[in-house]
Amino acid sequence: MPPLPDPNGVFLNVPYDQEFSSLYVAYIVGLCQLDMVPHLASEIPGGDRRLNRIFKLIQSCRYSIHDLSRVELSVAPTAVPRFNMPLELGMTITWANLHPSRHAWFVWESEPYRIQRSASDLNGTDAYIHNGTPEGVLRELSNAFWRDRMPSVPQMLTVYGLVDSALNSIFVRNGTRNPYDRSVFMELCRLSSSLTTLFFPPTKPAV
Amino acid sequence: MRKPIHITAPRPTPEEWAKHFPISKASEKALQALVDQFKATLSGREEAPANLIEPEKRRKRASAA
Repeated sequence: MPPLPDPNGVFLNVPYDQEFSSLYVAYIVGLCQLDMVPHLASEIPGGDRRLNRIFKLIQSCRYSIHDLSRVELSVAPTAVPRFNMPLELGMTITWANLHPSRHAWFVWESEPYRIQRSASDLNGTDAYIHNGTPEGVLRELSNAFWRDRMPSVPQMLTVYGLVDSALNSIFVRNGTRNPYDRSVFMELCRLSSSLTTLFFPPTKPAV
Repeated sequence: MRKPIHITAPRPTPEEWAKHFPISKASEKALQALVDQFKATLSGREEAPANLIEPEKRRKRASAA
């Protein structure tokens, strides 16, 4: 049996494409603003088989978010459906059904009711609908999770604007234009976590 | 209506964030400079970049101009 999951850990199962990058940044910012720790498959170093590494990462997180908003054919001429996200969702559902106290999963979509057509076996699962906007992602994160002290959606949106404006300098520093690269993901998370105290300075511990 | 999950786990400390997301000292320094700049901007000590002004305020400024 693997060790207990990180109670703040959230596995992000999202598409790694340019069109999705603003929502990806919103997920990172929103989760960090809630003092939750995002995790991405690309952060785990190689060695073991990729699927095994992903499964270990899912097991290490108390929660997972599966964004199925871009389950569609890739660009021609290789037009094929994108199965990675449903595959990882399936693995997660099995794990959560076996160990419900260890894992809870959420499905995110951009359009209401589309999931009933794309994955009808998920009927009865209420997807969080983000409407394909960063604001929608932040709003739905606030609908899925809450803490005793948490920023409002406009406050989170302000932090999102700050982090998004820093993205280019992070790219330059890491010699890449890929926001899903491990090094960029790490810096996005560190920057977002450094801004968690922007609206709520940490309280001093009682003496 | 779904009820949101109440997260009661202790918040990660700065040390725990650093452990989760290790980066180089140079990157740390660069990010800290950004954070300081953001804080100065938000406290009104520096002019906010256009993309950080709330859409409503941006529209008002544009219509006033």
